[in-house]
Amino acid sequence: MAIKLQNVTKSFGSLTVIDNVSLEAGDDEFLVLLGPSGCGKSTILRMIAGLETVTSGEIHLGGKRVDELPPSDRDMAFVFQSYALYPHMTVRRNIAFPLIMRQFRWWFHIPFIGDYFKRRIENSPEVRELVERTADTLALTKVLDRHPRTLSGGQRQRVALGRAMVREPSAFLMDEPLSNLDAKLRTAMRAEITQLHQRVGGNFVYVTHDQIEAMTMGTRIALMRDGHLQQYGTPREIYEKPANTYVARFIGTPPMNLIDAEVEGMTVRIGNSVLPLPDKAERPGAERAGGGSRMKVWLGLRPGALAVVPPGQGKSLPGTVTLVEHVGAESLISVKLSGVHTAHDDDGGLTDEVMVSVPGYSELRVGEAVGIDCLLKDFSLFEKDSGLRVGGRAAEDFLAGGRVGTIRTAS
Amino acid sequence: MKHNSTARTLAVLVLLGVAAFPLYWMLVTSLTPSERLFDDTPNLLPTLSQIGTYAAAFTETSLRQWLVNSLIVAVGTTVLSILLSVLPAYALSRLTFNGKLLLGFALFMTQMLPEAMLVVPLYDIFTKLSLLNTLLGLILANTAFTVPVVTWILKGAIDGVPSEIEEAARVDGCSRLGIVLAVVVPLIAPTLAAAAVIAFFHGWNEYVFAQTFISDDALRTASVGLASFVGELSTPVHTVMAVGFIYTLPAVVFYLFVQRYVVAGMTTGGVKG
Repeated sequence: MAIKLQNVTKSFGSLTVIDNVSLEAGDDEFLVLLGPSGCGKSTILRMIAGLETVTSGEIHLGGKRVDELPPSDRDMAFVFQSYALYPHMTVRRNIAFPLIMRQFRWWFHIPFIGDYFKRRIENSPEVRELVERTADTLALTKVLDRHPRTLSGGQRQRVALGRAMVREPSAFLMDEPLSNLDAKLRTAMRAEITQLHQRVGGNFVYVTHDQIEAMTMGTRIALMRDGHLQQYGTPREIYEKPANTYVARFIGTPPMNLIDAEVEGMTVRIGNSVLPLPDKAERPGAERAGGGSRMKVWLGLRPGALAVVPPGQGKSLPGTVTLVEHVGAESLISVKLSGVHTAHDDDGGLTDEVMVSVPGYSELRVGEAVGIDCLLKDFSLFEKDSGLRVGGRAAEDFLAGGRVGTIRTAS
Repeated sequence: MKHNSTARTLAVLVLLGVAAFPLYWMLVTSLTPSERLFDDTPNLLPTLSQIGTYAAAFTETSLRQWLVNSLIVAVGTTVLSILLSVLPAYALSRLTFNGKLLLGFALFMTQMLPEAMLVVPLYDIFTKLSLLNTLLGLILANTAFTVPVVTWILKGAIDGVPSEIEEAARVDGCSRLGIVLAVVVPLIAPTLAAAAVIAFFHGWNEYVFAQTFISDDALRTASVGLASFVGELSTPVHTVMAVGFIYTLPAVVFYLFVQRYVVAGMTTGGVKG
């Protein structure tokens, strides 16, 4: 079932935390809401779930408008960051709880009598079977009759997943479900959730601040910042054609280098070097360049699109090594360029360092003079003032596949 | 470490002695022959030959009836206080509405009024409602005093229930009332038990209302009955002490019974801390 957000805005008094966000995810999509803390991604998820009201705009699920329905009528399951299990109930009752609620009658409120009927539903063959099958899928069979406090973090998270799965909802909403787990367990659970999505289908909406989770799990990513949608696309689009410098710096570890440059016709000037742009590259239109065809830009290059060469070779940029980090399969080299500025962050902070990744174990030493070659195959151009993407690698190159970017973890 | 635990054990013993001694003193006095009551050296060991005092307390006074009445009042006060406090406590903790702060403060204000000041207006109201000289009237008057306290105690406990658990229940299809009864109440069970102790003790010990509103001998509570022994000319010390001792026991037993529910860590495991 398709999820559609249409001009959704959320304000608390005069403070607008979500500003006019529209996005649409088709059937069986794994939509990831990505962004730093405080960007409003959780608020969007809570609005989809009905835990927060929508100030203006509409939310549709499967063509039906749901933003005015109570949470229980939206046919969505929610997995909380803190798991939010019912501590006084066994794992079995936790998982069965949504099913018991489906058959709830007012007299279940009466102590003892209500307990009797709840237990009867819990022990009915159909509920029992469903709960046990779910537990089996999540390897929880052995702990079904234990209380959450006796479980490990990973098991608790699986109980929370089980409670969501057992309802067979049309959408699973997950709010940073893995952020409380240790790194190893997180990787394992990441795979489990992806497999769960492939197996049960349905729409997943997943909130995270972890770009690795977003890139590996999502079929679509919505990158948020300060309540504004920055870019909405597939992980590959977001990685290869970031819509602005913010997206460029947010996705990818280490982040994309943004080098102060000037585009003129089919060339780009960096410091004293003038490099030709590839024939098929997207370039800023002449009309946007304003006053002639020159345009000040940030040249965005991933650390892998820079190469360390002997100083003075060809059109390389001169620089000095300031830091060498060995990560195993590759080495990350920080190089201070002379006479060329780079963007330190998205807020206009300037520096003059770039990060280069070279395969294998680098023998470079700190303080060594080197040259930096820019490989203009895989690159983006951003307008200097607005930070918006105005060009980069050739469009057909992108569509034809080209070189697929690799994502590296910092650890 | 060992030194530390010895010191702690000693401290606990001293405190226990301070708390338990009056009870023991009551027991000893009730079992001391009259002629030795005013000895220069106090008698610290009970004389078992005097045990008949206790039998006499039951046969010669209406003690049994008083205790039953006190039990009805105390249990009634406890049940009614808890029933009437859970929902306001939830509202004060979770809902936003106009005048919430004022309401919370008003609840506190009621605690500043001494019972004695309310006797006359309550007497007037109870007369009109035919609640005078009934145990129900007494239960209502006591409940009016315990509800604010219990409400505030429960509000504190509900504040501590993670809101995600309630949200999970909402998504799972629980109504508000369902959330309160099926999720919140079980999670605050330890505090409920503590609040029940407070309400029970209030109902059990209450004297001023019981003395004023009850005129029928058969409806007297134990607190009033106990006080009735103290005469202008003579006070039967043995009987007073024996009845006092018996009067204390149910409250202690109730506390011991409830005490095992007053355990911390009920919400552990539901959410990641």
